[in-house]
Parts: sequence; structure tokens; C-alpha cells
Amino acid sequence: MERVGSWAVHAGVGFGRACVGAAVCMLVPVVWAAAVGLGVWCGAEHPWSWIGPVVIVCAGTLTLAQTVCRAVRFLVARWTGTDIPAGRREAGPVVQLSTGYWWNGFSYERSRRDAVMDQRMRLWWSDPATWRDLRFAVIAPFSAGVVAALPPAALAVAVLGLARPETVARPETAARTVGACALVLAAGSAPYAWRAVHRVAVRFLRPSPAMALAERVDELTSQRADATVAQAAEIRRIERDLHDGAQARLVALGLSLATAEQLMDRDPEQAKALMGEARAGAAASLTELRELIRGISPPVLSERGLVDAVRALALDVPLGVSVSAGGGPLRLDPSIESAVYFGVAELLTNAVKHAGAARAHVRLTRDGTGIVVEVEDDGRGGAELRPGGGLAGLRRRLAAFDGTLVISSPRGGPTRATMTVPCE
Amino acid sequence: MRIVVAEDLYLLRDGMVRLIEAFGHEVVATAATGPETLEALRTHRPDVSVVDVRMPPTQSDEGLRAALTARAEIPGLPVLVLSQHVEQLYARELLADGSGGVGYLLKESVFDAGQFIGSLERVAAGGTAMDPVVIAKLLSGSAPDRGLGRLTEREYSVLGLMAEGLSNHAIARRLFLSEGAISKYTTSLFGKLGVTDDDDTNRRVRAVLTYLNQR
Repeated sequence: MERVGSWAVHAGVGFGRACVGAAVCMLVPVVWAAAVGLGVWCGAEHPWSWIGPVVIVCAGTLTLAQTVCRAVRFLVARWTGTDIPAGRREAGPVVQLSTGYWWNGFSYERSRRDAVMDQRMRLWWSDPATWRDLRFAVIAPFSAGVVAALPPAALAVAVLGLARPETVARPETAARTVGACALVLAAGSAPYAWRAVHRVAVRFLRPSPAMALAERVDELTSQRADATVAQAAEIRRIERDLHDGAQARLVALGLSLATAEQLMDRDPEQAKALMGEARAGAAASLTELRELIRGISPPVLSERGLVDAVRALALDVPLGVSVSAGGGPLRLDPSIESAVYFGVAELLTNAVKHAGAARAHVRLTRDGTGIVVEVEDDGRGGAELRPGGGLAGLRRRLAAFDGTLVISSPRGGPTRATMTVPCE
Repeated sequence: MRIVVAEDLYLLRDGMVRLIEAFGHEVVATAATGPETLEALRTHRPDVSVVDVRMPPTQSDEGLRAALTARAEIPGLPVLVLSQHVEQLYARELLADGSGGVGYLLKESVFDAGQFIGSLERVAAGGTAMDPVVIAKLLSGSAPDRGLGRLTEREYSVLGLMAEGLSNHAIARRLFLSEGAISKYTTSLFGKLGVTDDDDTNRRVRAVLTYLNQR
């Protein structure tokens, strides 16, 4: 009984999907049919009367292709979880030159609006994704569309054959037989027919390897630029800190010592005071250097590795943090360790500063493909990735290692951030 | 006192040896790597040793590990660990065995030579000498409503100074109270923490540990 029930659900869902899939795939042929109808209605014998319908077919196919493909991508992702990237080319920046004209990567235009329109048209025309979508819109009706339309069509025949046999065939028994066969066909094909949409979409909608590679190159280029900019900023910060801090203090220290040396015989009391000052200065510059080093690479990280460094960090934040680690030894590439460590530091700081959390838990898991670090707090939630924000910066830094950051933070909490970095 | 000095940087090691000898103590051995340190601690069993955390060959926490290993083999072997940075994590590990005779200070604590030698002597006698910043962090990490809410504010600050390794006399001076008052606080503090030990030094270390463990 249970199996019958589950089959019925399966068939029902499949039937629904088949109807939706068929409807989407058949959008373009519907336009064609409308055009043919229009042509016939206007008088098919005169060649000029076909101009209108041809225009309608061309314009309809071109405009509908992208919509159809977007719908198919959405449906496939929804039904099977297969993500088919659109693989469209990104529009470059439109900039005003010193001549006052606008450059959009293809041509000069007098106004920004023209430049943007021109860029859009050229991109649309030159983008392989456009032609891929068009090809799919033409192929889909004859492949996926036909198969997906089978269950609803068979059901329609069955209903007609059983309810009004005279419209299907004579004698009546033959019509009823046809109706019964169609019913069996509809029921049998319902759970499977919609899968044709998935198959055809994967085969014809996926970007070509060359396209995927081009996309990857773009991604890597922008990541490299980000990394270079971040590194340069970091080096400037270190230089400034050393220059204004430790270096200046050492000069002052040398000065005090030199003066003390001079005063040693004449005024031992003052010399002694100066020496004391020098000592205090040395201690202060050490404190400064320690802070600076901690910001570059926390010593405990190189001494103990990631897990103990995170434990040490957990002890230092004003928050009850528990740390758990599992899945084998956790010594990673130093640069990844450092990125993950500072990531945890940033997330814990957020938990204290923004979420007002009282407790947090850090879970480090190492598996065959990479490291997963989860930071969960019991704060008020509502964290989001804003461009230019701390979390976006963290995501960018992780992206340099092909890592990802996923934030789940409903209002009212809890916040859970998951950092994943692939590594050998 | 017979002292072992373990430090990989020649300048610092040499300076330390000269400082210690200037105060009339004897340096029986020096070590520049983790294995050497362990070896020296095992063979000389010094009255106290000064050990750097980061040392060759791995440039990780070799020195700290040598000290911990030696203390596991020879319980209560007095060790004063010096480092460029202090971590609560390391402080906990050093205090964990509860046998006292442990110090953990920043390297710049040698700037005040007198105080440094004092710390060294305290550790040699089985007491503790902990960096005030680390102790403050260790103790402040717990909200007063958790675990040790029973301690009064005054007892709390006495406990902190005790953890740094100060004697009742020194605590009294620091808090501008009489020594008698301090010993009253310590007694009530030991009672609240349930620390019953005959040896005073041991009791003081145990009190701090009990406090940390209750967090």
C-alpha cells in the first residue's frame, strides 16, 4: 500500500514537472505556430504577406530564447540540484576619457547611454552564450519538449477516448481501447518523462570547456589583483608601524644612552634617571613589536599549528569559546593556516562586537579534500555579506585559496559561518 | 643556586649567563636547542632553569616541550620559561601538573635584574612567577556570575597577585593592607576553593589551579 502511495506521489510530481517542462520548451514553437496562423489568415498565396510572420518568428525566437533558457536552468537546478552556469561574458567598465567621449571596450560614443547600449548589443552579439541559448531554444522543442509533452498528451487522449469515444474513433470499443492504452502510457511515463529536460539541458546548455576556462582565467586574474593589492597595503602598514614605532623608539633609546654616557661622571643621578628612561623605552618598543608581530603572523601559530593557535585565540577573546577539532592531523600550508586563523579571529570579533554573543563554538574538520571551519555563536544574528564589509574581505581572502565562506545568520540568531578551503 | 640556561640566540644566552653570575649564582650548563635542553635538565637536575620557548631544530615550541617533558619525568623540577610573547594556553599547560616551581615571563622581565633574580629564586623554592598580563587574562576571562562568584572582589585580587607568585608580604605592600589582613583573605580563599594542603607554596599554586579549572 505504502509503495503504491509513494509511486502515486512520484507520478504526480513527475506529471506536474512534465507539464511545466513541456510548456517552457514549447514556448518558441508556439510563437512559430502563431506566425504560421497569421500568415495563413492574411492569405498565404501572396509572398509579401509572409513578411510579418517571419519578423514575428525571428524577433520572438531571439527574445524568448534567453527567457526559456533561464527558466530551464532554474527548473533543472530546482528539481535535480544540477547547477548549469549561464557562462555569460561580464560587461567591462564604461569610462569617460579625457576627450569627454565614452569608451566601453568596443567603441567611442558621445554619451554614456549610447556607450552602454552599444556595449550591451555587441556583448549580446559576440557572446557564445547567446548562440548557445538560441541553439537550445531550437533543439529543445524537438527533444525535451516532445518527451515531456508525452504524459499530458497521453492523458488528454485517454480522457477523450474514455469520456467521448465518438470524437476519437469508430467503433466505440476501438476508441475505448485507444483511451485505455493512452492512460497506461500517461501513467507509466509520468515519473520519467520530465527527466528528458534535465538531460537535454545538461547536454546543450552547459558552457563549453573553453568558455569555462576563460571564466576561470577571469576569476583568477581578479583574485590575483585582490591579493596583490591586499599584500601591498599590508606591507605599507608594517613599514609605517616599524618606522613610526620601533625605529623611532630605538633612536630615542640611543639618544638617552648617549646622554647618560656624557652625564655619567658629572651628574650620576641624572644619568641613572636617563638609563631608567631608556629601559622603559626598550620595554615599550618590545610591546609594540610584539603587537605588530601578532598582526603579521601570530607566534603561537608557527609554534603550535592551527588548532592550538585557535585554542589560544579562544582563551583571549572575552567570550566563552569552545574549540573542537577532528579528522586527522591538522598541519596545513602556512599561508592557508594563517588565512583560516585570521578568519576565525575576525568571526569571533564579530560575535563579540556585533552579535553580542555570550558563547561560541569553533569546529575544525579536516577531510580528504580540505579543511572546514565552522564558527557558531548564540548572538542576535543578522550578519550579512556587504560589499566592502569585513565578511566580504574575509571571503575575498579565502577565495585566493579557492576557499569559500558561507554565512547563515537569521535575525535573532544563531549565526553560523562556515569557511571551507580545499587542500591536499 | 645551580642554574641551566637554554636559549638559542647567542647574545641573549651570554647576557643571561653574565646577569645570573653577577648575582652570585652558578650556571652549570647552557643549551641552544630543544634536545640539548632536555639532556641538560636530565643530567644536571638544576635548582632552577631558564628556558626559551622557541628553539631549534624546528623553531616551534621545542623549549617549552623540553621543559614539560623534563617536569613530567622529574616532578617539580623548577623551570622558568621565557618568551617573546605570552599565551594563556602555555601558562595553563605549565601550571597543569599542579606541582609548583614554575615560572612564565616575558623576556623583557630581565630588564629589572633584581626582580628577575627574585622570580628565579621564588621558582627555585617551589613557588610560581607568572606574567601579570597572562594572570590577569586567565582570571578575568570568567564572568563573576559563573564558577567562582563566591569570591569577594578583594579575595579575587589577592588570588591574582598570588598567581603571579607574590608572597603575602608583597601582596600586602601592593594592596596597601597589613600582612595580617592578607593572610585572613588567603585563608578564607583557600576555604572557599576547598584547597587543603599543609605546604603553603603548594596550596597557593593549587588555589590558582582550582580557580582556573572551575571556569
